Amino acid sequence: MNLEELPDKARIVFETIRGRRSIREYIDREIPLEYLKLIVEAGLWAPSASNLQPREFILIKDKDLLRAVKLVSPGLSGNPAAIIVLCIDREKASKGGRMGETMALLDVATSLQNMMLMAYALGIGSCPIASFDKLALKTILDIPEHVEPVLLLSLGYPKRWPQPPPRKNVDEVLHVDGW
Amino acid sequence: MLMDGKKLLYDKYFELLSFLITSARGLFNEPEIYGPLRLVETAEKLLEIMEEESISNRELVELKKYIHENIDTVLYGEEEFKKFLDEVVKRLALIIRSEVKRN
Repeated sequence: MNLEELPDKARIVFETIRGRRSIREYIDREIPLEYLKLIVEAGLWAPSASNLQPREFILIKDKDLLRAVKLVSPGLSGNPAAIIVLCIDREKASKGGRMGETMALLDVATSLQNMMLMAYALGIGSCPIASFDKLALKTILDIPEHVEPVLLLSLGYPKRWPQPPPRKNVDEVLHVDGW
Repeated sequence: MLMDGKKLLYDKYFELLSFLITSARGLFNEPEIYGPLRLVETAEKLLEIMEEESISNRELVELKKYIHENIDTVLYGEEEFKKFLDEVVKRLALIIRSEVKRN
């Protein structure tokens, strides 16, 4: 489809989605706190199952703490200016019944995408990281027992915007009106 | 206590140690391909330490650069990643061979 034919809002949204990359090398530059808060707010506007909103966020800006988190996160590359730990509150999630925890994870996932797109729109690179040691992270950050860190989101101004890895074509995966 | 008074947090060996321990635990839950990935990442970190401590040469610096620039092939599937690792092994073997021949 020719993007130029789309209404401005649709074109900008699609270009933002397609332009976002996972960034693993950052320059040494701070991110303003108001930008970081805006990124978290974008996450809060993601849908939440039964509107339970079991998501919690830990923002890390302190240099020593950033380093400490990096030490226990094999999947974290580069030196980000900030890290946001996306967590679920198990007590709140349990109000969603048997599906509560699964839906809470989906809530985190949709928040994550909003946050990465908001960051990208601000010129900030990001990378979601699942490869971190939960026990070590909970110990370092004093995270309470009922709160589960699910993902890290590293944030910083990118050294470069890398080429995208291959993506499937829509016709390979889209089944219209049945498989 | 570290000799120059800097925090252990920023020590390269401590970084490597932390990477190895947390990777060991993490690999139980991660994709199989992350095993070779973590090992070659360890190699890159070790090459960096060797360079900082002047236990390096031009070939080792180039090997580190090659790993750094191509490690993302892990995102392109197993075959691409294997090709990358084969090239790393080949470059290492050439370094070893030249050391054997060196008088």
